[in-house]
Amino acid sequence: MTTERCREWRESLGAHALGRLPEEERAALEAHLEGCPECRAEMEALAGVAQLLPLADPEHFGTAPAPPPSLADRVAATIRAERRSQRRQRLRLGLAFSGITAAVAAAALAIFVLPGGAGGNPEQHIAFQSLPPGLHIGATLEPHAYGTEIHMYVKGAPSGTLCRVFVRGPDGTRQPAGSFRYRWGNDSDAVLSAALDLSRTRAIGVRVGNRTFVAPVDSGGTA
Amino acid sequence: MPSGALSDERDVREAYAAHAGELYGFAVRSLGDSGLAEEAVQETFLRAWRAGARFDPQIGSLRTWLFAILRNVVIDLGRARASRPTVAEGGIEPTVEPFEEALLSWQVEEAMRRIGEQHRRVLLETYYRGRPYAEVAKELGVPEGTVKSRVYYGLRALRVALEEIGYDD
Repeated sequence: MTTERCREWRESLGAHALGRLPEEERAALEAHLEGCPECRAEMEALAGVAQLLPLADPEHFGTAPAPPPSLADRVAATIRAERRSQRRQRLRLGLAFSGITAAVAAAALAIFVLPGGAGGNPEQHIAFQSLPPGLHIGATLEPHAYGTEIHMYVKGAPSGTLCRVFVRGPDGTRQPAGSFRYRWGNDSDAVLSAALDLSRTRAIGVRVGNRTFVAPVDSGGTA
Repeated sequence: MPSGALSDERDVREAYAAHAGELYGFAVRSLGDSGLAEEAVQETFLRAWRAGARFDPQIGSLRTWLFAILRNVVIDLGRARASRPTVAEGGIEPTVEPFEEALLSWQVEEAMRRIGEQHRRVLLETYYRGRPYAEVAKELGVPEGTVKSRVYYGLRALRVALEEIGYDD
């Protein structure tokens, strides 16, 4: 039964659970615990919490880090993009790619042509496939009078990785299209350009660190 | 998309508003890198949206479900890092603590942030800094018995906070 005496003991239970009670007080408290199931139960509960304390790092007791406000928009944008690409993929899968097997798809490819680009050469979204787990690479190509504007998107490489972009023309020659470094936490969408016209671009590649990934570009008329 | 708790963008926005702070806080703690933590949170909500139909509120809370997804994301990020070719110009990579341990650490720290300042202070000074009760009492201008009782009520408050966060022993 909890008594006034128990209340006095209780306030020592925390110090006891953390091993900070002076010897004589500890002996007296243990004698009380021996005969008081309620205080013993309380002691056990506190001991359970006390044993978790070493797991925490007091450096982290201050304010918790908050996500940057822009993250909410990025999450929403990612989901919107995913929904759009799912829709397009369903559309395309039913048409051009229905016969492609996994073995053939070793190197690449998912090419989506944005709707609404009737007439002109629309921008192209290219998702690199068969990448190592965790690595994502995508590109958007836009036709310009000077050549092709390339928005290169990389995610999941080590921070600081050098990424060198190139394009291939109809004869397979490689033309450099600039380089950038992938940094965690920064906007990984690098804007680059190549002199090669989009209509003549057959493939785009990027060397991420020491590995090269290439995806075909569906240039001109075949989409 | 079949009906689930996260079947449309509005559901995701609401889930984000309710849980992104915690998920992010834990991801930073676990991955040791705020940029990587942002990627992890983004990927978590993307996967949650993709699998929205599979969420069943009858089985567990949305929060628990999101943490379970984040767990997989964090493990995948660790695996991607381990299997990646080494790159000469790569930066210093943060290490990933084993997930369960990191989750427990984060839960205790989050519980510490939730309890009252007086309670947190005595636990910090007497337990983490190992200072004598008498010295802390003097510094705070209270009797030593008050420090002792704050340690007790502090541990109790911590226990309640841990239960709120979802720690079950």
